[in-house]
Amino acid sequence: MTITFDAESLPALQEQRIQHPWRKKTPVFTWSVVLATLIPLVIVGALFIWGDIPGALLMTVVYLPLQLIASGFAAFATRGKRGILDSVIIVNAIGATIFSLVILISVIGSLIVRGFSALSAHFIYQNNVYVSPSTPLEYGGIGHAILGTLLIVGISALIAVPIGIATAIYITEVRGRAVPYVRFFVQAMSGVPSVVAGLFVLTIIVATGAFEQGAFAGGLAYAILMLPTVARTAEEVLKLVPDDLRTGALALGSTRARTVFRVVLPAARTGIITAIILGVARVIGETAPLLLASGYADSTIVNPFGGPIAAVPTYIFNNVALPYPDAVARAWASALVLIVLVGILFVIARVVGRGRLSSK
Amino acid sequence: MSSTETEYRDLKSAATSHRGDRVFNRTVTLAAFTALAVLAGIAVFLGLQTIPAFESQGLSFLTTTAWDINTDPPTAGIWGMLYGSILLAVVGLVIAVPASLLLSIFMVFLAPKRVATALTNLIDLMAAIPSVILGLWAFYILNPSAEEWQRLLNQYLGWIPIFQNTSGNFLGTPFIAGFVLAIMMIPIITSVSREVLARTPPDLINASEALGSSMWTMLRYVALPYGRGGIVGGVMLGLGRALGETIAVFFVLKIVFEVNWYQIIESGGGSVATLIVSRFGEVSGEFELSLLLAAGFFLFVMTLIVNVIANLIVARTGRLQK
Repeated sequence: MTITFDAESLPALQEQRIQHPWRKKTPVFTWSVVLATLIPLVIVGALFIWGDIPGALLMTVVYLPLQLIASGFAAFATRGKRGILDSVIIVNAIGATIFSLVILISVIGSLIVRGFSALSAHFIYQNNVYVSPSTPLEYGGIGHAILGTLLIVGISALIAVPIGIATAIYITEVRGRAVPYVRFFVQAMSGVPSVVAGLFVLTIIVATGAFEQGAFAGGLAYAILMLPTVARTAEEVLKLVPDDLRTGALALGSTRARTVFRVVLPAARTGIITAIILGVARVIGETAPLLLASGYADSTIVNPFGGPIAAVPTYIFNNVALPYPDAVARAWASALVLIVLVGILFVIARVVGRGRLSSK
Repeated sequence: MSSTETEYRDLKSAATSHRGDRVFNRTVTLAAFTALAVLAGIAVFLGLQTIPAFESQGLSFLTTTAWDINTDPPTAGIWGMLYGSILLAVVGLVIAVPASLLLSIFMVFLAPKRVATALTNLIDLMAAIPSVILGLWAFYILNPSAEEWQRLLNQYLGWIPIFQNTSGNFLGTPFIAGFVLAIMMIPIITSVSREVLARTPPDLINASEALGSSMWTMLRYVALPYGRGGIVGGVMLGLGRALGETIAVFFVLKIVFEVNWYQIIESGGGSVATLIVSRFGEVSGEFELSLLLAAGFFLFVMTLIVNVIANLIVARTGRLQK
C-alpha cells in the first residue's frame, strides 16, 4: 500500500490542529456564551432599575452567583461536566480583571473630573504665599511645589544616578567576586519603606546637624529610594550589550575604563536613559520621606539648604483633609498634575525603551 | 553565553594592569557597596535610637500599646501598631492574592495577545500611581462606597466575629485600609505571577492537553505548581510593600492606641508606618521623636526580613526554571 501525500490538504489539516482546546469555537459555543452573558445582565439590570436592592449587594449576592450558574450551564452544554470548573475560573478571571480596571478607571477618572475644575495657568506657576485654605481658586498655585519637586528630584538624581550606574557597571563590567552580594544588597535596599528612608535622613540631621530640613535632605531621602531602581534597570540594559563589543575594544588596545565609557555606555545609552527615567518616576510621588526630611513651606525656595521646602506630594498631603472645598479642589488639581508628570515619564521610558529594542 | 563570559573574564587580568583601570575598578567597587553602606547606616542610626526607647520602657515598648507621652513616667509601646500592620497586610492579601492570580491567569491563558499587552501596560500604570493620590482617591471616592459595603457585611454577616461592629462607625476601619493596600499589592503580585505563569513550558501545557485535561486541571496540576515559587515570592514582595505603606493608609485608617484584634470593619486600627507620620506632625519633644525613630527601626527590620525572604524565593525559582 502506498501512502499518497496530498499537499493541498496540508493547510486545512494544520488549521484543524487546536493548541488550546478552551479556545475552540463552535456555533453552540458562541450562542452559549452570548446567552450566558446576556441573561444574568438582563436580570440584574431589571432588578437594579425596578428592584430596591443596594448596588453592592446586587453585584455580589445576585449577579456573581447568577453569572456563575449561567456560565456553568453554558459550559455543560458545550463541553460536558468538565467544562463547569473551567467556566468558574473564566468567570472569576474576567471578574478580577474588570475589578482591577474599574479601580484604575475610578482613580484616573476622578482625578481628571475633579482635578480639572481647579486647574488653570496661574495654578501651575504661582506660589502659595498669600493663600489660606479658604482663599478662592482665582489665587495661588503650586508653582513653588513643582519647583520644589524638580529641585529635590534633581538632587536625588545627581546622587543616585552615578552611584546606581556604577553599581551596574560593577555587576556587568568589573564582574568582581562580590557580585552576588552586591545584587543581594541592592535587592534588599529596594525594599526599604519610603518612611524609613525619611527617618534615616532625619536621624542624620539630628545626629550630625550638618544640614537642616530642606531640599537637600529630601533629595538624600529620595536618592535612597531611587538608587536600587536605577541600579537594577541599568544592570539589565548593560547585560544586553554584546560581549563582542567589549572584547573588540580591548583587542584594539583600549583600557577597561575606556571600554566602559567609550563603548559599553554609549551602546546602552537609551537603556541608561530609561533607567534614569524609571528611577525618577519611582520617587516623584513619594510623600512620607519629604514630610520627614524636607518639611513644607508656602513660598518659592530655590536654595537646597534654604530650609523647609514644598513639593507636589506634600502639597497634596497638606490639602487633602482640610474642611475647605477650595483647598480640596487644589489637592485634586495638584494630584492631576502629579499623575500627568508620572505618566509623561513612563511614556518617555516606554518610547525610549522600544527604540532600543527595535534597533537590534 | 557562559563561554564568552569566561573568555571576557580572562581578559580582565591583562587589562587591569593599567593604572587608570585600577582607579576605575576601585571607584566602581566602592560605589557598588553604597547599597550595603546605606542599609548598615539605617540599621545603625535607627538602631541607636532604640536605646532611649528601651531605657525608658524596657521590653514593654514592644508588648504594650499605650502612647501616653506626657504622663510621668511616660508609657509608650508599639505592639498595637505592629499587630495592626500585620492585620492590614492580611486583609490586603486576602483581597489581592486571588484577584492578582485570576488576573494573571486571564492575561496569560485567556486573553488575546493584544488585550494582554494592553492589560500589562495598565497594570504597570496602576503600580505607578503615587500613594498620596491613592490616599486622596480613597478618602473621597472609596470611603462612601466602602462604608456602604461594610454596613451590608455587618447587617447580613454580623454574626461572624470579624464582621462585628459595635460603634456604628464604619469609617477608618482596617477593612478600608486593607482594601487600599490590596490595590497597591495587585500590580506587584500580578506582574510577578504573570511572568512565572507565562514561563510555564509549552511542552508541559500541550502534554497535559493531549492527555485530555481541561483548563482547570492544566492550571491545577501544571501551571500553578510550576509557578508556585515565583508566585509566593511575588506575594511576599507585595507584603513588604504593604507593611511599609504610609500615606495612603494615613488617610483612611483611624489610628487608635489599643489593639483591634480581628474586628476588621470596626473603626480604628494601627500601622507602624502611619504612626510615624501621624505623630511626627505634632511630636512633643526629643523623647517622642526617639520613640518614633525606634518604631521606624522595627518597621525597617520587619520589611527587610520579608523582602529578603521574597527575593531569595524569587531568585531560587528563577534559577530552577532556567
